[in-house]
Amino acid sequence: MKYGPYVFLAAFFALALSWCGFVVTPQVQLGRAVQETNSVEKAELYPQERSGQARQGLEVYRANGCAYCHSQQVGQQGTLVNVVLKDAGKKTMDVAKVLNDEKLGTFSGPSVAAGLPKTLLQNVSMEQAVALQSLLKNAGATTELHLVPFGPDIERGWGKRRTVADDFITDATVMPGTQRVGPDLANVGMRLPDVKWQLMHLYAPGAVVKDSPMPRYQFLFEKRKIGARPSADALALPKEFAPGDGYEVVPKPEARALVEYLLSLRADTPLYEAPLTPPPAPKTNAPAK
Amino acid sequence: MNSATNQPVADNGRDAVKDPTVPIWLIVVLFLLVFWGAVYFDEHGGWFEPQVYSPYVSAEQLKDFQVAGGPDIMLQGQKIYEKTCITCHGPAALGQPGQFPPLAGSDWVNEKEPGRMIRLVLQGFSGPGLKVNGQPFNTSAAMVPWNSLSDDDLAAVISYVRGNKDWKNTAPAVTPEQVHAIRAKIAAVHPLSFSPTELEAINPAD
Repeated sequence: MKYGPYVFLAAFFALALSWCGFVVTPQVQLGRAVQETNSVEKAELYPQERSGQARQGLEVYRANGCAYCHSQQVGQQGTLVNVVLKDAGKKTMDVAKVLNDEKLGTFSGPSVAAGLPKTLLQNVSMEQAVALQSLLKNAGATTELHLVPFGPDIERGWGKRRTVADDFITDATVMPGTQRVGPDLANVGMRLPDVKWQLMHLYAPGAVVKDSPMPRYQFLFEKRKIGARPSADALALPKEFAPGDGYEVVPKPEARALVEYLLSLRADTPLYEAPLTPPPAPKTNAPAK
Repeated sequence: MNSATNQPVADNGRDAVKDPTVPIWLIVVLFLLVFWGAVYFDEHGGWFEPQVYSPYVSAEQLKDFQVAGGPDIMLQGQKIYEKTCITCHGPAALGQPGQFPPLAGSDWVNEKEPGRMIRLVLQGFSGPGLKVNGQPFNTSAAMVPWNSLSDDDLAAVISYVRGNKDWKNTAPAVTPEQVHAIRAKIAAVHPLSFSPTELEAINPAD
């Protein structure tokens, strides 16, 4: 083999280069990442360690190849800004003049100060927002900038911001996935927080999502004869999916762990590297719809 | 004389290549491509900053986006107070008579310059002779050092205590830079807790 050393060197450098790109560079960038309080509210630790059952559920997720059809990474195209007037200050005439000069409507002194807080500019770039903010600051008004991430994934409701490495920092095996045969699951715990729905969906996806292409994971459940009385955990299945008379379907521990893991998937906390302004918390204790 | 017959016979197809050098336009195009690639990387690559993800393109741009109402320093300070300080100093910052000094209305807290307070929170406090508002305190219950907290967190909690109107404290807030400066100053020279006499000897503006 006349060119043996050259072939070896070419292969060696090609592999070494990709190893540097795929292994060394990420290690240098993120290898020393530690869990720290880098959420915008700094006294909060994010992400929280998953519960033991959820960590078992991660293994079930892994074993059943969920990551072949589901990704856990939300993309983001950009971030727009809303300018919200919090306080018009004492010189309301000046504030009204700024707003009128900027062609944001016709304002007078009293009408500026009424109905606060109000959104003055919606979905503008950071430069525009900061420009208006500084004009209003000079006029003595207090404004707030609200950050609104956007992109196709966010419009689908799959998340509120992009996914970053910090979201996975407590997981020993990360399941970011690449394919989207099914929807993205990065925030499934926020979108579909109902345990019963999740269990039913695992047993018979078609029972809750019409024409779902997802296979049935019925081996995560036990079909058994109803004993003295029906189990409280039995699935309330529609007729065409129900087991025969006298039988019931109850989830095995694997199914429970998997659902616990799915419900623990919610990456919507504002982070330094993925800022957003969360909508104000609901005033009641009722769960978000 | 026919020159063609004197030429050696060219072998398969090699005569098709008239000029074996790389054409100059290809070199120019390659250089332009490399240049464009470098410019693109500079504008979109984030220079390997671990915190920069698309759609953000640089650490500076990301900094501009840290405006979400701004971190509420009093709220942050309150959370840290409730995690770390509340055990001894209490929810109303009244402390325990004779054992843990109060922070509400304390002359130590309300000093205009924060030098002494930053030092004692950073490095802790022990030794006899502590008096707060003229009241003597048993210093067997020493204060532990809190230098494990970050500059941001320390500045927040100290500002929270100093500016808490419910506790009748009216001292100005503290910046992370001030904490950082004092941390750097005392790191080498003062590894142990401060005693009250040592602190009283320190110029609070220093």
